[in-house]
Amino acid sequence: MRYLRLSAAASAILASCSLVSAQSMGQMTPPRSPRNASYSIDVRLDPASRTITASEVITWRNITTKPVDDLRFHLYWNAWRDDRSTWQRERKLGRTVRVTRPDDRATMDVSSVRVMNGGQPVDLTGSLRFIAPDDGNADDRTVLQAALPQPAAPGSTLTIEIAWTAHVPRTIARTGAIGNFFFIAQWFPKLGVLQEDGWNCHQFHSNTEFFSDYGVYDVRVTAPKAWPVGATGVVRDRRDNSDGTTTHRYYQEDVHDFAWTTSPDSLERTARFEHPTLPPVEMRLLLRPDHASQAERHFDATRAALKYYGEWFGAYPYGHITIVDPAFQSGAGGMEYPTLFTGGTRWFAPEHSDDPEDVVIHEAGHQFFYGIVGSNEFEDAWMDEGLNTFGEARALMTWYSPMYLQQRYFGNFVPYVFKDVRLDREIYWNRFAGYRRNPKIDQQSAPSYRYYPGLGTQTTYNKTALWLNTFERWLGWPVVQRTLSTYFERWQFKHPKPDDFFAIANEAAGRDLSPFFDQVYRSSNVFDYGIQELRSDREGDNYRTTVVARRYGEATFPIDIRVTFADGQQAVEHWDGQDRWRQYTYDRAERAVTAEADPEHVLLLDVNATNNSRALGPRGELGTKAATKWSLKWMIWLQDCLLSWSMFV
Amino acid sequence: MSPLAACRDGIRRVAAAPLILAGVWLMTMLAGLPLALALRGEISSHLGTSLASEPAANGVNYEWMQEFADQATGIGTTLRPTILGFGAVLDNLSAFLDNTSRPIVIVGAAGMYILLWLFVAGGIIDRYARDRATGVHGFFSASGVFFFRFLRLGLVMLAVYGLLFSYLHPWLFDRVYPRLTREVNFEPTAFFIRVSLYLIFGLALGACNLAFDYAKVRAVVEDRRSALGALASGLRFVRRNAGAAVTLYLLDVGLFVIALAAYAAVAPGAGGIGWTMWFGFAIAQLYILARLWVKLVFWASETALFQGRLAHAGYVAAAKPVWPDSPAAEAIT
Repeated sequence: MRYLRLSAAASAILASCSLVSAQSMGQMTPPRSPRNASYSIDVRLDPASRTITASEVITWRNITTKPVDDLRFHLYWNAWRDDRSTWQRERKLGRTVRVTRPDDRATMDVSSVRVMNGGQPVDLTGSLRFIAPDDGNADDRTVLQAALPQPAAPGSTLTIEIAWTAHVPRTIARTGAIGNFFFIAQWFPKLGVLQEDGWNCHQFHSNTEFFSDYGVYDVRVTAPKAWPVGATGVVRDRRDNSDGTTTHRYYQEDVHDFAWTTSPDSLERTARFEHPTLPPVEMRLLLRPDHASQAERHFDATRAALKYYGEWFGAYPYGHITIVDPAFQSGAGGMEYPTLFTGGTRWFAPEHSDDPEDVVIHEAGHQFFYGIVGSNEFEDAWMDEGLNTFGEARALMTWYSPMYLQQRYFGNFVPYVFKDVRLDREIYWNRFAGYRRNPKIDQQSAPSYRYYPGLGTQTTYNKTALWLNTFERWLGWPVVQRTLSTYFERWQFKHPKPDDFFAIANEAAGRDLSPFFDQVYRSSNVFDYGIQELRSDREGDNYRTTVVARRYGEATFPIDIRVTFADGQQAVEHWDGQDRWRQYTYDRAERAVTAEADPEHVLLLDVNATNNSRALGPRGELGTKAATKWSLKWMIWLQDCLLSWSMFV
Repeated sequence: MSPLAACRDGIRRVAAAPLILAGVWLMTMLAGLPLALALRGEISSHLGTSLASEPAANGVNYEWMQEFADQATGIGTTLRPTILGFGAVLDNLSAFLDNTSRPIVIVGAAGMYILLWLFVAGGIIDRYARDRATGVHGFFSASGVFFFRFLRLGLVMLAVYGLLFSYLHPWLFDRVYPRLTREVNFEPTAFFIRVSLYLIFGLALGACNLAFDYAKVRAVVEDRRSALGALASGLRFVRRNAGAAVTLYLLDVGLFVIALAAYAAVAPGAGGIGWTMWFGFAIAQLYILARLWVKLVFWASETALFQGRLAHAGYVAAAKPVWPDSPAAEAIT
């Protein structure tokens, strides 16, 4: 028996060791995803001319039940080829568009596409054409269609060979180059996702990100010798070439994208995440020299994400992660890629404020919601950005509280931390302010790529975090945790849709939450409850207290109304929140002192919290005193402002 | 007279006329008070009897502040946590150097404040030039006499500062800075480039400020009627006494920096209501007084330097003149 136990333990250790060893080689055993879109790529970077020359072999399998007679590829970089692309046209809505020099632009020119047919290559180059399935923009070149010589049957596998060259843009939308810093993302012709209803291959939009199938990536990056390279996966081999370059071979299984970076200035640091119940993760950090002192802060924030997301939602399975600290004004910061993400910090970065911790936790968190659960970012961006913002805020406040408001001055260089302003999860980290400014800007259930450009994030990130946190405050963390962990478990390495998430939420809550999701997801209505009236007048021996609660907004949610009396007793009413208003009357010996709508602030989407309560007596007079205090504070600021202007005399 | 001696003399002259300091402080209070009262009304109306008042009264209710600023128009939009403590100073200084726009109400108030300064500038410099009490009547008479001359000078100043902020600043920070930092991916490099450009802009601003200061001093001391003549003579003085004038200016700038540093150390935070609120306000007003004192020291020390360099020693020794004699008349003995 003892021998058997030892043997079992030894087997477990050996299995664990072999798993760790496999992970350290980028392998995932057993396969976690369908692996129906695998890429073997050779790429060479010429930093001087900022060009890449590359070829790839895609092994693609039709995993639908229908044949398909064409292939569709994303050529994202063509969004910056000229000003007529859909991306550029959308960017002009509601945003200042940076003037782009000709050499800042990107190009992506496919020189050949061949598909193997019965062992023989068939050249598809002549059949290539650009299509614009979303908006019909004839000038958009971000989706390339290739007609197949014969339909690809369900279950069949195609081998596709593509050669292309590209000009690396000056960093835009988190890819490109600045100085000698290169961050190369969305850089290769990438297949769309074939679904039962056809190709899901959207044009590149300014407001949304990406969507692709899982596979195995085996990529050989050739860059100048001594330039460190960071990439998705793990390096399996490095080979110096006679022309002063080095070829780095990176490999990773069960991922749906591949990004890489190189710069001679990068400093390399390593650390390890360890946890009693979660698998270890080797962390590799490529750090800018001006941030050399912040290495541990990056690791610490990554640990926080791996720990809390791991404990709450599910384990990070890859065993390694690469953190890239992007160069100053590279615009590459705050972006996620499988097993790699970019942070973003500043030379002056005081502790207990936001960067780099905020962005590192957010992007590390995307490894779970984006990397492992592969939802469609074109159509349902909230499923990764929103869920992740919720997780980020929760992890951040659990790990780092207190944090304080920081403002940057003098060209955005010099930080100042306002120690009086402690940042909370509910309002600040859930990004409530942004949502409140534009609560009706879009209906969340609309395809994300159709959100109003420039403000879509407020519906995607902010609103989702707020309604998830409302969900948590309403039904409790165990229900939300169960929802998210079940969702993570069932949909890892797959492509879930919103209804899949809602079904799991219903299941976890043990009730039909459709009315809630109808309000927050299928509508852009605004929540605003308040106390319209509070009166407490003596009538005989008692006080007659009248409270009128009102629904000012269009959206509905069940809330409590709490009335507190002078002796400290409270009356709590449960209002379904459906009617426009509701009156409550009490005859008591004590006078009412306060009335509050949603006193526990369950409904974080309520856009007007000040009208949620009224007070009588001294507490009701505090408003005037607070007004005096803040007007005096403001007057000091104004006097200082006037004194600055008095320099002109 | 050496710059250091002029600085000392300027400090002495300001100390000898405490009513001027008190007066400009009162002027600064009165300039801010109407808007502060208007804001108080807005805040009070927004808070009403809400319980949101409690955290707002006892510290910072950031959620309420954001809600208020989002719903407000005009001055209400400027009520943000950045008005707190030393952050307020950084906010204004940064806005000044970065040419950040302010709401029109604030710009209007600043315009009025500048006009007030233009009005009292003649009386203040006259008082410092005479280096003895001129009395309320004398002060305001001098203010009145020089107001229209300074108003004309003010038009020149408006044109020059307008050029600096409308052309030089955008050229430096919207064209040169992006060009110089276009391929810079190392933040310290960009930071030092920006600091260098601040220095260049500050030098231009300081040079103009210096010339206009001596224009005002000469206009008062020499009873000049022509604004352009005063400016030309001010420029001549600065050119002939460049080392001393610039050194003195830098010494005065040093006093300004000391005032800022002192406030950075003691600036009150949000605090509560009651005596702590008034205590914080009093400390902040001491800082405002210090800033005003520094501004007056600029004028007093520049007046002292000018008088010292042109050897008009008789200014302080002469018999009490009968208004409207100018300080220059006292020198004609």
